[in-house]
Amino acid sequence: MQEIIKIENVSVRFDHHATQHRSLRTTLSNLAKNRRAEYFEALKDVSFTIDKGETIGLIGRNGAGKSTLLRVIAGVIKPQLGNVIVNPSSRLVPLLELGIGFQAELTGRENCFLAGALMGLSKKQIQAKLDGIIKFAEIGDFMDEAVKTYSSGMYARLAFSLATEIEPDILLLDEILGVGDMFFIRKCTARMQKMIRSGITTIMVSHNLDFLVTQCSRLIWLEHGQIRLQGEPKMVADAYRKLGDQK
Amino acid sequence: MLIHFKNLNWGFLKAYAFTQIKLRYRHTTLGIMWNVLEPVLYLGTLSLVFSAINRMSLSDYVVYLFSALVPWRYFEATILGVMESIIAGEWLLKKLAISYFIFPLTRWLIAAIDFFCAFAVVLVILAFVKPTWTIHIFILPISIFITSAAALGIGMLLAVAYTFFRDIKPLATTGLMLTFFSAPILFKADSMPMGSLQSELLVYHPVTYFAALFQKPLYYNCLPSLLDWQVTAGIASVFLGLGIWALHHFTPRFYFYL
Repeated sequence: MQEIIKIENVSVRFDHHATQHRSLRTTLSNLAKNRRAEYFEALKDVSFTIDKGETIGLIGRNGAGKSTLLRVIAGVIKPQLGNVIVNPSSRLVPLLELGIGFQAELTGRENCFLAGALMGLSKKQIQAKLDGIIKFAEIGDFMDEAVKTYSSGMYARLAFSLATEIEPDILLLDEILGVGDMFFIRKCTARMQKMIRSGITTIMVSHNLDFLVTQCSRLIWLEHGQIRLQGEPKMVADAYRKLGDQK
Repeated sequence: MLIHFKNLNWGFLKAYAFTQIKLRYRHTTLGIMWNVLEPVLYLGTLSLVFSAINRMSLSDYVVYLFSALVPWRYFEATILGVMESIIAGEWLLKKLAISYFIFPLTRWLIAAIDFFCAFAVVLVILAFVKPTWTIHIFILPISIFITSAAALGIGMLLAVAYTFFRDIKPLATTGLMLTFFSAPILFKADSMPMGSLQSELLVYHPVTYFAALFQKPLYYNCLPSLLDWQVTAGIASVFLGLGIWALHHFTPRFYFYL
């Protein structure tokens, strides 16, 4: 199998000060008091590879580092240590925090064109895909309303529809299915299965273990920023459930 | 560092800039026409008020004022727009791996479009009120280029600082206001008494030289001096270099501060 993503000894740490205090006064005060930075290690020495066509599920408790790992793969966060190598010829589409990068004031249609430009598609190419996007998202006339007026379900439907319609090679999904209704999840599942058959590589974060076990070829269980277990989905899910039962 | 520019998604940059301009005038009756009307109203009001204060004829003062005020507004809008660009790009920067240079360049492009609209209006007005035109105006593209480079560089440096420290914005706004009112834009440098402290200080005011790049070809009908070119090109090179370096150097840390 062809390797498409390689994660080598990746470590990411967040500076508490950076996320909480952004004023000159607190920075100068910390410098004057020689206060040391306080770090939270989100990922610690994580290494694994992903082959083309694999469907990976990331599981773990809140704060385990799942979303951080997706962001590292997406290239949004640069790790302080280690390397992330993504096949440069692959089109990577991340669906993080529900959106693909939607601007709240713009309409659904305008956001589709903007996101298309972001993915390197021409206006003509997006125009050709627009009917398919609208049809799958089922948002009808709302396509010409600002996305800030959308419900989280509508937002997720449009984001998923757009992300999958632009034919990615690698798709990153962060809890995107958590906000949709039963019908949307069923529709997404069908489309994802079709995409998996066509050879797309998918990495998804979800707390829905049953969904991951049925859809993924491998599960990676993260705990405190490290890989606790990875392998065959049912085996990893059972081990994770067992820990939950014990706690 | 140059890889940032090589890998820039120019298609997105253009689409994003035009979307932002469209968004600015959404729900307005006159729409994009405001891009032309707004500078006319602003410049008209200032001309009426300050021609009386400066005891100059309105037509003479209009030529003097417009020649430097329109470039100043562009300079200021570029600096403030670029400064806010990284923070304002949070909606995308936390979701997609995209060059951080996209956002400052988009803000610069928007300011440049506004400037060319305003400048076109100014040239039409000047066609009626300016008595003589000379060949010196053909030097203006170089003046615009140097002004753009300086503003973009200062803006990028401030964008880095603003991402880490949110106090920067009011400080920068106040600094620009002080710079504007102390520069020879609303008043003429030779209106100061010879040898006075104010006229001495103007020699050290950087905007004196940037204003000269426009005032000399448009109002005084001559070329800017060698000193004007040296000072402005020097400032532009230093700030542009520092701005690009700072943005490149601090990019990996931005995510945690957005």
